[in-house]
Amino acid sequence: MYGGGNTFEGIKSDAVANEDPIKLAAFEAKIERGEKIEPSDWMPALYRKQLIRMIEQHAHSEIIGALPEGTWITRAPGFKRKMSLIAKVQDEVGHGQLLYSAAETLGKSREEMIDDLINGKSKYSNIFNYPTFTWADCCFISWLVDAGAIVNQLANAKGSYGPYCRALDRICAEESFHLKYGHHCVIYLASGTQKQRDMFQEALNRWWPPMMHFFGPSDKISVHTETLMKWKVKMGSNDDMRNQFLDMYVPKIQELGFVIPDEKLRKNPETGRWDYTEPDWEEFKRVINGNGPCNKERLEVRRIAEERGKWVREALKAPKSEYVTPLA
Amino acid sequence: MASLDPRVNRLPKDQLQNALPKAPLDQFGTFEVFVQAREGKPFQHEGIVHAPNLEMAYLLAKEAFTRRFTCVSIYVTDTRHVHVSAMTEGNENAYDQIVEAQSDGKKESYEVYHLLKRGKQHIQVGNVDAGSPDEAMWLASQSLRGEKQVFNVWVIRASEIRFTSEEEKELWLTLPDKKFRDASAYKGGDKLKSFLEKMNP
Amino acid sequence: MNTEALKELLYKMADDQLILGHRNSEWTGFGPILEEDIAFSSMAQDKIGHSLALYTFLEELGEQDPDTVAFTRHASQFHNCTLVELPNGEYDFSLIRHFLYDTAEALRFESLRQSSFEPLAQVATKIRGELRYHTMHANTWVKQLGSATTESIHRLQKSLDYALPYALGIFEPSPLEHDIIKDGIFVGEEALKSQWMKKVEEVISQTKLRLPAWDTLTAMNGGRVGKHTEYLQPLLDEMSEVFKIDPTAEW
Repeated sequence: MYGGGNTFEGIKSDAVANEDPIKLAAFEAKIERGEKIEPSDWMPALYRKQLIRMIEQHAHSEIIGALPEGTWITRAPGFKRKMSLIAKVQDEVGHGQLLYSAAETLGKSREEMIDDLINGKSKYSNIFNYPTFTWADCCFISWLVDAGAIVNQLANAKGSYGPYCRALDRICAEESFHLKYGHHCVIYLASGTQKQRDMFQEALNRWWPPMMHFFGPSDKISVHTETLMKWKVKMGSNDDMRNQFLDMYVPKIQELGFVIPDEKLRKNPETGRWDYTEPDWEEFKRVINGNGPCNKERLEVRRIAEERGKWVREALKAPKSEYVTPLA
Repeated sequence: MASLDPRVNRLPKDQLQNALPKAPLDQFGTFEVFVQAREGKPFQHEGIVHAPNLEMAYLLAKEAFTRRFTCVSIYVTDTRHVHVSAMTEGNENAYDQIVEAQSDGKKESYEVYHLLKRGKQHIQVGNVDAGSPDEAMWLASQSLRGEKQVFNVWVIRASEIRFTSEEEKELWLTLPDKKFRDASAYKGGDKLKSFLEKMNP
Repeated sequence: MNTEALKELLYKMADDQLILGHRNSEWTGFGPILEEDIAFSSMAQDKIGHSLALYTFLEELGEQDPDTVAFTRHASQFHNCTLVELPNGEYDFSLIRHFLYDTAEALRFESLRQSSFEPLAQVATKIRGELRYHTMHANTWVKQLGSATTESIHRLQKSLDYALPYALGIFEPSPLEHDIIKDGIFVGEEALKSQWMKKVEEVISQTKLRLPAWDTLTAMNGGRVGKHTEYLQPLLDEMSEVFKIDPTAEW
């Protein structure tokens, strides 16, 4: 699951100045006519760098994203939810695996990517730095955070880089169950006992602000990404994605009788866009830079998992193997 | 501070080996995974698994790539054992760049895969008997080229593949029954409808 | 047909699968390598699915619905062997338990394919592919790690020595068995145990691990009659935490 919005640092205007202009033109023409870029193609250094960054962050988001829902695996109520939740969290791990593989085709090893997650160099979706206090919080993620991720993933699946598109095709196919499962869980909470309804309303109150951060800073304060849009690395503006999400899911939340904790939230009939209380982008920055409620724990858990598994991997590693970049 | 996750609270926190930075090949090398969705359909490349050896790669590929949808068979091979042609673009055909090659080596079977569109997966088109990967490429260009434009060709020596045996095909027997992993098992429609009717009489 | 004896068989099988599936699902997201995390998680789902099928048979025989049976009983009402309720420990213990238990489970279900109790015969036939995978997986891991490095061999040996007495508890004798053996529903624990010992010997002999002589081991029995370790009740409390907020609610 990944919102995508916080990947791109400022692109310098001379970032492609050192690239061969003929090769660059051919590369851009290929993308313009809708032909995918494959690993053995020539590509500008910036393209490679930004793609590695984006795909890697997406992969980390899946792995870390497994943790807030994973919290509830051992406590899922009833057989159906138990099996479904294990399958869903397993899929997050699986999607991480698919995405690391795609990033590897660009030349960064999985070892290095995992190192950079744990040592804090690489980022992941901010929303996973918040705690899932109750079962209803878990259901919020399963439904609405997944919904947000799907908006982003469907857009990115039309991007220019072949391996990322292939990974996203598979991810989107597997996600269809996640979204339906999440909605199903919330419908049952909504139509259940007062305790269940209250549990979800409280979860909604907690998670709405991070959800509004999910697609990244608003366009007016975002970095310029025209080059990346031209190269079909970034497929839509943060606000476009956010509006799409609101279009699709605000009605669905409200029809269940839940109140979204933003009085200003409404679709503006004149602009056709959503009005809402401007999210707190300072809070967003604080959390993404390590000061959220769960950042430390998320990375600590990953560090412990890697350390516990070290003897296993060392035992199985063949003495004289060599590493080769994956093909596709 | 205690975690909200009871599993996390049970994690051992001391006496662990320092795992960072990772040594090269901590995550092993890679193996390419090929899946046959239905009997009679060609195999299709689906991705890679990291694994310490071929047998482990087979085991891990099975759950990484065939825990959903349909599958009747899979096979895996070390990434290093996939021989690749040039990757073409625009109107160029990868077969036009393959040069004639002959080999005195013992003839063995090679699986042949085509990429028919950039951004899609490689699909199995058949096999050839050749004495070397180059000869396999050449023979494929003679007998398997076909009408469609091909952007990339892979050939893989069969002896380097871990195939699924006939009796192992039962591994996927219950796959169609695992409805809990399928969107169709979560039809909240009726529950939602009756709830809405109650709310808005 | 002795319904009590049949229910006893179904309960112990269902409880084993549920508790082990639950334990194994604790590894989801924490595995030693991503691909293995995915594989181990699939097997946990399978086990829980098997337990659900068995609790469903019990419901058809007059017991309560699976959710109620699984999520509201007290530890002393559970009939799983104590092996499956032990904490996960490190990956060596979880793998050894997976090997010892799944080897027994595969043999049990294989023998049940000939059961005169139709539903059991059908489900046993149906899930043979899943169990084939579970044993393939366990055998491959034990053989590879059990022959790899000093550390991996030492760890697996320690876990094997610790787990074996508990594993023998899988075959805890039942006074009710006689009737269902006579009726052709089940071959009995003794028969299963001998087959299991042979299979375990066969796999361990392909490693650098050492199997102690069977007669030096004392089975940790008690689980089948509701005598459990201190680990089961906390596991059940955790498992039923949300369910018990309101057992009549639909989740």
